Amino acid sequence: MSTATALATLPPGLVWQARQLAQQQGPVLPTGHAALDAELPGGGWPGAGIIELLHDHPGIGELSLLLPVLCQGASRRWQAWICPPWQPYAPALQAAGIDLDAVLLITPDNPAAALWACRQTLASGNCSAVLAWLPRIDNTGLRRLQLASEDGATPLFLFRSRNSARQPSPAPLRLALSGANGQLRIDIVKRRGPLSHRPVLLPYASLMHGSSCAG
Amino acid sequence: MRWLALILPDLALQTHLRGIAEPGAIAITDPGPPVRVLAVSHAARLAGIQPGHSVPAALAMLPGLQLRPRDRMAEQALLQEVACWASAYTPRLSLDPPDGIVLDIAATLKLFGGADAIEQTLHEGLRHQGLRIATAQAPTPLAARWLARCPTPHRPHVPADWQARLDALPLDLLADGSDVSPASLALLADIGLRTMGEVRTLPRAGLARRQASAVIQTLARAYGETPDLRTEFVPPPSYRSHLPLSWPTIQIDPLLFASRRLIAGLCSWLTARHAGIDHCRLTLIHERGGEQAIDILTGTPSRNEAQLNLLVREHLGRIELSQAIDSLAIEAREPRPLTQHVDDLFGDPASTGEHASMLVDRLRARLGRESVRQLRSLSDHRPERASQHTPLDPRPAESAPASPQRPRNDRPLWLLPQAHLITDPTRLRLLRGPERIETGWWEGEDVRRDYYLAETPDAARWWIFQELDPPQAWFVHGYFA
Repeated sequence: MSTATALATLPPGLVWQARQLAQQQGPVLPTGHAALDAELPGGGWPGAGIIELLHDHPGIGELSLLLPVLCQGASRRWQAWICPPWQPYAPALQAAGIDLDAVLLITPDNPAAALWACRQTLASGNCSAVLAWLPRIDNTGLRRLQLASEDGATPLFLFRSRNSARQPSPAPLRLALSGANGQLRIDIVKRRGPLSHRPVLLPYASLMHGSSCAG
Repeated sequence: MRWLALILPDLALQTHLRGIAEPGAIAITDPGPPVRVLAVSHAARLAGIQPGHSVPAALAMLPGLQLRPRDRMAEQALLQEVACWASAYTPRLSLDPPDGIVLDIAATLKLFGGADAIEQTLHEGLRHQGLRIATAQAPTPLAARWLARCPTPHRPHVPADWQARLDALPLDLLADGSDVSPASLALLADIGLRTMGEVRTLPRAGLARRQASAVIQTLARAYGETPDLRTEFVPPPSYRSHLPLSWPTIQIDPLLFASRRLIAGLCSWLTARHAGIDHCRLTLIHERGGEQAIDILTGTPSRNEAQLNLLVREHLGRIELSQAIDSLAIEAREPRPLTQHVDDLFGDPASTGEHASMLVDRLRARLGRESVRQLRSLSDHRPERASQHTPLDPRPAESAPASPQRPRNDRPLWLLPQAHLITDPTRLRLLRGPERIETGWWEGEDVRRDYYLAETPDAARWWIFQELDPPQAWFVHGYFA
């Protein structure tokens, strides 16, 4: 029996081969975009851990990408937005189907307090998702957030600039976002699986209307 | 009937020591005259100071001795607090001044697992609040009190021969918790009596003739021959407790220690009233007058000691102490009924974490009320008015002014708090528009704009507008994120 066939007979999850996507431990949240799901380990956002979204320009659909998952989180009480750079526009969120009563805007006045708030919301297990904009976060901070996120089984969507892609990070999933010809271009910088060479392209129209749960 | 007497030995001393983690040599003085030492702490006792010494004598033995005047008001307040706490174990209890409480535990014996268990719970619970107690049980309150005064190890809880044990008690106890005058006590001592039993053998008519009828009545009550009626204790409608620190401090640790004691008392009062609070006020009293109040808010009514302690810790960690703190006080009004949480038989995944409102309480305690906000959507055509964020209200209004019509889904997810002037509008490619918004003239905030969806060279989509009034400048107002 050749090595390849011997490996194939093993139960899934026991041995991971580098050319496959890893099995996701724990629950997975479908992203709502089939093209993206196909590229992610387990077929969706991890249910715990940091998901880094790296982009430089606002207005390329970086929040719309999350709308399907933000609409689902009814089982837990809150959805925390920590240090949003601008004001989330309530009518637009409502139109997308997000429950405004669940949105918790947290605006601490210094980076240390923001990090603290981030860890508290993650570890409490009361938030369906945490969105955070922490411009100056170091590796220690990231590692703490990753642990808190795993403790509370809460995904953290962390928005950072594209040049932080060069900085190592404990986040299991890192996506670089950019706009291209009416499409959101997603380059997978890091995932549990083989390197990705092909970007995922999502048309803006599908982001805004097609997949949003408001229909 | 089964009575449990709970006595706080050296109440005057305990009142002073409970807020202090490591008491030094402290003596409580009775404001005489003559001023005498009433009670001494362990460290002072080791130095040889005994209750009854005069103050100069005590100071001669230990020059570093801290003297504290007796505070009768604080003693009574402490006794009330203990009574509040103990009423969790029986609804029928009464204060037994000056330093005790009697509890009728006949009805609740079974509920709390028997006489042993109740006594142990009382000891442990009060030790947790920094108090030392002595307890005993007997069929009459007075007998229980006297037996608690003379603790004997390894006794059965209500001995069958409890009357025989009363007989053996020393004569001095007769004046404890009764209205026997010192003169009558001296009379009995002078005729050579030493124990209760000996007093009981005396002819009653003779005692009554010698103005000692109080002795007969007291003994009859203690031995259960006449009923001993007590007024039941009712927990006060609002709570206030005050705790002095050992010395003025600007450090947080002693404050935390003292506040834990205060909160333990507060929670016991709440337990007695079967209620919770959503607001209490901790006051830090400065050495030179002045005070600093900390309002502690919880999202839902609670009497969870750990939660309140956590909130206090967050608040104390945040404040600037400008002056040394001399004492702490806690105040709570309006206890609210608790909503009972019923656990699901198979475990509810939502209840596995801590309660959702506790997270918000903690965030608000540390970051301040203004930093934890919620979003509202209002019905207004002006974009900057249609979205509002306000500090989170723990008790949300039932009818929030939500926008009646279905919100439009052609709005950006990000709105800039201030529209930005676009210096070079030719860079942008207009994709959709114009949408004219012309409103608000009646409020002096006239808005006359044409809105467009525009794309920038790097494929970002902006929500921009052109003022209709000259100079017809272009502004960016949002991002389609």
